[in-house]
Amino acid sequence: MTATAITTEGAEPAVRPGATESADRAGRRPVQALRRPLLWYRDPLSCLQTTFAAVVDAAGGDPLEVLGAGWEFRHLPGDVRTEEFYHPSRHPEDLGRSIAPHHHVRSRWTTPAADRDPLSELADEIAAGRLPIAAVDNFHLPFRPAYHDVHAAHLVVVYGVDLARDLVLVSDAQPPAFTGPIRAEDFLAAWGSVNPADDQDAFFSATRIDRRYLRVEIGDSRPLDRDGLRAALRANVDGFTAAPASDGGAWTGLAGLRRYLDEVVAAAAAGDSATVRDVYPFGWSMQAQACLHGELLRTVGVDRDLPCLREAGRAVEAVGHTWSGLRVTAAHGWPAPQAAAESLEHHGARLQQRYQCAVEAVDRAVGRL
Amino acid sequence: MPTSATIAAHVLDLASHFNNVGASRAEDTSAGRFNVWGNSFAAEHLPSAGSQVVVDGVPFQLPPLGTGTPDNVRCDGQFVRVAPGRYDWLYLLASAERRVEDEMALHFAHGAVDFEPLRVSDFWAAPATFGETRAFESPLMHYPHHVQFGVPAAMWCQRVPVVRRADLTAVRLPHNIAVHVFAATLVGPVEEANR
Repeated sequence: MTATAITTEGAEPAVRPGATESADRAGRRPVQALRRPLLWYRDPLSCLQTTFAAVVDAAGGDPLEVLGAGWEFRHLPGDVRTEEFYHPSRHPEDLGRSIAPHHHVRSRWTTPAADRDPLSELADEIAAGRLPIAAVDNFHLPFRPAYHDVHAAHLVVVYGVDLARDLVLVSDAQPPAFTGPIRAEDFLAAWGSVNPADDQDAFFSATRIDRRYLRVEIGDSRPLDRDGLRAALRANVDGFTAAPASDGGAWTGLAGLRRYLDEVVAAAAAGDSATVRDVYPFGWSMQAQACLHGELLRTVGVDRDLPCLREAGRAVEAVGHTWSGLRVTAAHGWPAPQAAAESLEHHGARLQQRYQCAVEAVDRAVGRL
Repeated sequence: MPTSATIAAHVLDLASHFNNVGASRAEDTSAGRFNVWGNSFAAEHLPSAGSQVVVDGVPFQLPPLGTGTPDNVRCDGQFVRVAPGRYDWLYLLASAERRVEDEMALHFAHGAVDFEPLRVSDFWAAPATFGETRAFESPLMHYPHHVQFGVPAAMWCQRVPVVRRADLTAVRLPHNIAVHVFAATLVGPVEEANR
């Protein structure tokens, strides 16, 4: 067995067990997806939605419909991680199923086999027709604004591996947006980073990357018909109005939202910085989801001439827009949380009103579908 | 769309409320801190500090952009008194740290108060979600330690309706630090504003 060791600041030695000698690698043909991944971006979205969007599109699906059909409130106490792609998963081992509950999307976190060249495993994935989504630390990616500046856990789509030239082809829809090759050395440093705590980014650093990648499977991606849409919206509304679970697990629905907001305000008043800080990464998942769902309802409302659906969509988007006040207040206020408690309470109350109105609007729309 | 020749405009003086540096110059990008990441507008790509500009036919007095001194109001419920009068619209040069929907309180003579929506799009590489006019844009973003091409920063021209037929006396800005206001101007019918 041979290995190539690369050391870069902030990363563990990027050992590549099983990496072939350069003479052998020179004979390897590059592996590359058949077409360039879609760069699909909306300003409220994180890399979680934009990378899945590329994979959904590559499988022939509509990212807005697949990623926008689900809408819920879900908080998992103690689960929030400082990653741009944090999402409180309904299915703990299946992020894809959690963010696209009304379509056949499945995913699981994977790490390369210990005795293989990790890039070869990614190459095999691409050769098999899949687009792996790799966790990375922005600090090591030359195309990210944070390059050699800030550590942050991020996702990119890997759509090609060229072992002969030591290149990895990556796609990232988040501005400034990038599609193209980077040096394998840089990719491995980002992929293997410990993502150390970084004072410049308390929200997305201090979570190990550990060469994780998502293996995503997209099944039937046909558009939802009217019955399918009605069923999806009914399930979403029921999720908001259901009685809270008594098992002490996830905090869901409108009751879970109230409980979460009460906890945030109480934590701020008590000087609990960590809970207030976590509003920012946690809220991103809820904000992105609401904005996508609202956009989908408005879009379908236009396509099918359903004004009530357009109005419901707009009400749901207002939920997303109201998350900004809470998230930004928490982001600026977490170092001195007691001073932010009153503002957090104000934004929390407003957010509850917006959720209530939006759930009622969607409920009305379902009745007219 | 009205023009400056056909409307009565009252430019608001927000200087005493400025509490944030939203624009910086390339030689000192860390001077700006529009958002929590320390990003800021590139002043070199904006109109001159303190200049008068016209957007959507409405005159505005720009703040001291790029001077290192506060150039915008990061909204936290500031109460801004205005010259009492009848107005139709409050025009704002504003931007937001992520897109925002909130509200302002409009105070009228004799104690009437109306709450009106204020919607402002994200400043960071975003479209005009709420139908605003893109008043100014720096095609690049200032980060604390470098200048980043490919990430534009937008300053929007948004407006808030003044629907009550009564003399407006003051406005309270949103209790929302995600919203930043650089300039504001009230406009109304000539015959009303010139009473």
